[in-house]
Amino acid sequence: MVVLYVLDVKEFLPIVETARKISDWTVSKSDKGYYRISSPTEIVLNRKAMKMKPAVWYGLFTGGMNGEIAEFGREEVRVIGTNRAL
Amino acid sequence: MQETLHQEARSDSPYTTKREYQTREVDIGSLKKASGDTVQPRLDGVDHTARPTWKLRETIEFYRDILGLPLVHTISARGWGDPGHPDFLHFFFDAGKGATIAFFYYIGSDLTEKYMPEDHHFYSATHTAWSVPTAEELQCWKTTLEARGLTVSPYTRHEILESIYFRDPNGYPIEITLRLRDVEVIDELDAKLTLEAAIQVEDELRTKGDRLRDIDTVWRRKAKLVEEFIGER
Ligand SMILES: [Fe+2]
Repeated sequence: MVVLYVLDVKEFLPIVETARKISDWTVSKSDKGYYRISSPTEIVLNRKAMKMKPAVWYGLFTGGMNGEIAEFGREEVRVIGTNRAL
Repeated sequence: MQETLHQEARSDSPYTTKREYQTREVDIGSLKKASGDTVQPRLDGVDHTARPTWKLRETIEFYRDILGLPLVHTISARGWGDPGHPDFLHFFFDAGKGATIAFFYYIGSDLTEKYMPEDHHFYSATHTAWSVPTAEELQCWKTTLEARGLTVSPYTRHEILESIYFRDPNGYPIEITLRLRDVEVIDELDAKLTLEAAIQVEDELRTKGDRLRDIDTVWRRKAKLVEEFIGER
């Protein structure tokens, strides 16, 4: 499983909007300012699809990430599950 | 009040005489915290930043004549204070809202290797960022500076800032930036958690004789801290 935490500010909302369109992924909102996105397998995000500028893209997981980044390119990122302790 | 404070001042205070404090390691743990104190003095924005220059004419012409910032104050003085201090000029350009950018020109001195401009992020980390109130003003600066012949970066959107960058004739990086939104309480909270995560993993890795090597490690610890935080009731 992969889990992302996303701060409820407009710069990062495209992640939440993307996640809501993917039926396998679960999105919940805490009343403390963070969205929690989880995927049973992996999370793949695309920069252009989310209309993100590079300086924001490269800070994509600043809200918190439980998983391991398999690839982090300029256009696409793939996070896979891991058993490593956080 | 200001005069009395000055009469009490001594030129042989530790600040002046025991100069090793300027370069020694500081043990933060031995200092008293603001949170444990009964007073908290306030600041009211930037008065000035200052850097040395070895290009007198170019610096003045650049800031005053090319950027169009008013030259508002100049100090010209004999070298004083620490031994070997050259005579100098210290001049200030107005950057709006009372903030100025200032330079020291040390007469008869030569630029040393350490102050040569570099094309490196360590070097550009020390920079001045001026604010503009609107996107139109930011665009106006970019097109105007380019039309005046400067090389200006593309627009760079950070999380809460949109910026352009250029360099002055000394090689010093300048940024002009627009705040895209106000910072909220959750931004402060998030900032705290990110840095708490970073400090934790850095301390742990150092204890093991290793070091922090990537941001992923911070993001993973951050997930743990956020989990704990939102799990609290
Ligand atoms: Fe900056």
